[in-house]
Amino acid sequence: MKARYGMVIDVDRCTGCGACMVACAAENNVPPAAQRATARTGITPMLVHKVSDGAEGEDRREAFLPVTCMQCEHETPCVTVCPQQAVQLDPATGIVMQMPQRCLGCRYCMTACPYHARYFNWWDPVWPQGMEKSLNPGVAVRMRGVVEKCNLCHARLHAAQEKAAAAGKRTIDQHDYAPACVEACPTGAITFGNLADENDSVSRAARSPEAFRLLARLGTEPKIYYKSKRPWVRALAEPHTAQSRKEVQHG
Amino acid sequence: MASAVLTDRRWIARGAERTSSARFALWLAPWAALLVLGIYAAGLCLYYGLNQTNMDNRFAFGLWIFLDLSVIALGAGAFFTGFLVYILGRADLKPILNAAVVLGFICYSGAVAVLMVDVGQPLRGWFTFWHPNTHSMLTEVTFCISCYLLVLTLEYIPVLLRNRQLGKGQPAAVFEYRLHHLVPVLAGLGAFLSFFHQGSLGGLYGVLRGRPFAFREGFSVWPSTFFLFVLSAIAVGPSFLMLVTAAVEKLTGRRQVPRELLRRLGFISGILLAVYVAAKSIDTLIWLNVTSPSVGFAPWEHYAYPPFGSALLFIEIVLFGLVPAGLLIYPRTARNRRWLLTGAALACCGILLNRFVMTVQTLALPTLAFDEFLSYIPSWQEVATFGGLIAYGVIVFSLSYRYLPLFGQEKREATDVSGR
Amino acid sequence: MFPGVDGFRWSFAHIIFLSAFFTVVLTILGTLASAALRTASDLRGGRAAGIAWKEEFAKLPETERRCRHELAGRVASRLCPNAFDCRHCREYGNYAALPARNETNTLGLHYPDNRFYHRGHTWVTPQDDGTLMVGLDDLAGHLVGDPDVIEVPPEGTEIQSDGTAWQMKKNGHTIRVRAPLDGAVVETGGPQKGWYLRLRPHGAVDLRHLLRGPEVAPWLAREIERLQLELTAPKTGPALADGGVLVAGMMDAMPEADWDAALAGTFLEA
Repeated sequence: MKARYGMVIDVDRCTGCGACMVACAAENNVPPAAQRATARTGITPMLVHKVSDGAEGEDRREAFLPVTCMQCEHETPCVTVCPQQAVQLDPATGIVMQMPQRCLGCRYCMTACPYHARYFNWWDPVWPQGMEKSLNPGVAVRMRGVVEKCNLCHARLHAAQEKAAAAGKRTIDQHDYAPACVEACPTGAITFGNLADENDSVSRAARSPEAFRLLARLGTEPKIYYKSKRPWVRALAEPHTAQSRKEVQHG
Repeated sequence: MASAVLTDRRWIARGAERTSSARFALWLAPWAALLVLGIYAAGLCLYYGLNQTNMDNRFAFGLWIFLDLSVIALGAGAFFTGFLVYILGRADLKPILNAAVVLGFICYSGAVAVLMVDVGQPLRGWFTFWHPNTHSMLTEVTFCISCYLLVLTLEYIPVLLRNRQLGKGQPAAVFEYRLHHLVPVLAGLGAFLSFFHQGSLGGLYGVLRGRPFAFREGFSVWPSTFFLFVLSAIAVGPSFLMLVTAAVEKLTGRRQVPRELLRRLGFISGILLAVYVAAKSIDTLIWLNVTSPSVGFAPWEHYAYPPFGSALLFIEIVLFGLVPAGLLIYPRTARNRRWLLTGAALACCGILLNRFVMTVQTLALPTLAFDEFLSYIPSWQEVATFGGLIAYGVIVFSLSYRYLPLFGQEKREATDVSGR
Repeated sequence: MFPGVDGFRWSFAHIIFLSAFFTVVLTILGTLASAALRTASDLRGGRAAGIAWKEEFAKLPETERRCRHELAGRVASRLCPNAFDCRHCREYGNYAALPARNETNTLGLHYPDNRFYHRGHTWVTPQDDGTLMVGLDDLAGHLVGDPDVIEVPPEGTEIQSDGTAWQMKKNGHTIRVRAPLDGAVVETGGPQKGWYLRLRPHGAVDLRHLLRGPEVAPWLAREIERLQLELTAPKTGPALADGGVLVAGMMDAMPEADWDAALAGTFLEA
């Protein structure tokens, strides 16, 4: 049976602690940022944004929105535009698989991604001496000049598949596979599972009326859902008008 | 009679008037210095990585992509002039064909060179040919530009073999003759390839669903920007060719082509520019009223962030589109050299502005609700590489003018340009 | 790209795209290959000299491409459309029938009537045994004087019309003398013999493209006019006075002149 792995992130539970970001970096062998790296040149396959409702003073409400690759299902923008098919939608799992070893570094996919979820290796990775011992052996390290992004900790899926194969089973045990961010989140804000399975908790969460997807109107069918009881958070799904954005920026 | 001291006389066509070797070297020297600086800057980027630029994850395309797109659009004069001469039979444009080919070669070879520095892994350039993605506009661009550069090289070789020394000897002369005979085939091929890659460069932006500023509907798989880019390229190609020819005439103090020819180029450019302005206006109206609102952006949303105000749209379509079209078509202005060249220059500015807006403004604008408007200033390495490309172009064109029969009819037109 | 590559799947788009691409690449390579192969075939088939000459002719300045009938006064002005090959000129007969200017003054230079003259300054005299003698004409001889080196082709060499007959070196300049017609070298000579090559022609001999009679003197006058301009030192006026006799060995007498241009113009090089 084909799987469609996805997530539902409960924004009401996210405290903005950033444990998911750290776990992601550790799992995926993200090198320490270079001296001159900035927020716009770092590699953060999971990135927590601070968002607000635009009000000021006492009435201001804020929240945290962890953004990762949305694993777009329909006409995946990055897959459509990559000139050498260095990214593909895996039909078996629904994961949008980035192949850094085939990437030319043209960065067209980064232009195409509506969610800014792709990151370029602007520097060669350098680990301080001794830190290489903390590298995850299941994940390939990337050189400079290639694009990378979240691939739902595919190495962990492999490990689960190997475990199942060793036990003679054809399908993995769902409990064996969860991305690092899901495991690390202290409040359990991220639910992960197979969206194609109607009974999976993630499917049920995705169908709830409080669930929303970012930029759903674009029609990319992301498999990362968000959930919130707060209407202003749900309104973040679609871009504000420029007028209200100006209010946000200039107060 | 030869008052200029020419130490390289052997390489210059007999009877051709050229400035002295010393003055020529003096002309080349600053450009050579700029080229060296550009190569050094590019070398830094290749050695240390693209962190030498000010591009980042949000501004993945920067000055260089804008440069590549602009230079390829300006170089469209090569294929279009070839198309006019060999396919449509406009023999009156033949005198400028060699210059057009050299200019095209410069533009495309330079663009490809800068592209090789711009990508993160240039040695993997051949991957696109091994794993082509038929859905991607960039695959199409890669294939067409590579093939077209090959075509331009083959068109440049006969011009090179017309050099007094290079063309000596039977093998060179015969090969030039045989290759020259096949140039119409190459011209046809060039027109086919150019149509597609000029269009696909526009298609690059038009398919970006996630960038409502750039996204357009169109015919089948081709967004409207595909056709707009082709139109704008063939509109501006002849203008750029005209400007370069005029610059050569100014610098050498000699008329290089019949005056009528420049006017004709201007007229062709003007007509195409007028068609482009009409098409672009219709496309803009559709975009503002239908396409953009359908993904949640009201009209004028995209122009709410200074300096990218709505004035830009007006400047692009009216000041740099309608006005030059008028100047180039209307006989009274077209007959006046200054107005003719102004029209051509404004047209080129229009194309530069269009490519800039599609590259930089697209990326500056927010897409998510919690995005901000971003800015980007290129680093000196990027600017120096840009300068290096321009220097490369000036040097190659200068050498070609000095040693090759770029404009052919030199003898007949040997009148002082100031006496016009 | 190829069916063997991992993940490759045939689709309609692939067929269109790849066939377009391969057609384009094959056409480009085919063009290059065709030009190269035809060049090789021309070189082997003895057509190379003719083609190279036509290319060279097109690069000559207009003043050096005047039709012989203009020189002879049969027509006011005419540019040669055939690279001086009157044998294949369709209008030759029309113009040849017109009256020519009667001009026989060869300006003190030796141009006997029994010789036929090529525009590249060689002369041809048919012999009784069917061979043709080829030599350097008097104007060229006056220009060059005593050559430093003479390179004549060995006996048996096939000479192609408008290709290289022989080469001479003088004062660092290499002079390539154009052959007035086709033939096989039977015997070689030199300045001391007064002729350079004896050729055996292939088939019937057609000397129609060579100058004779009333065309020679006007041609010489134009050539001397050209040389006056080319050999003038800068800032001085023309140095060759009218009515004078040409100095022998001009390359030695005027070493500072622009011999590059003068020799190219004399021996029909661009």
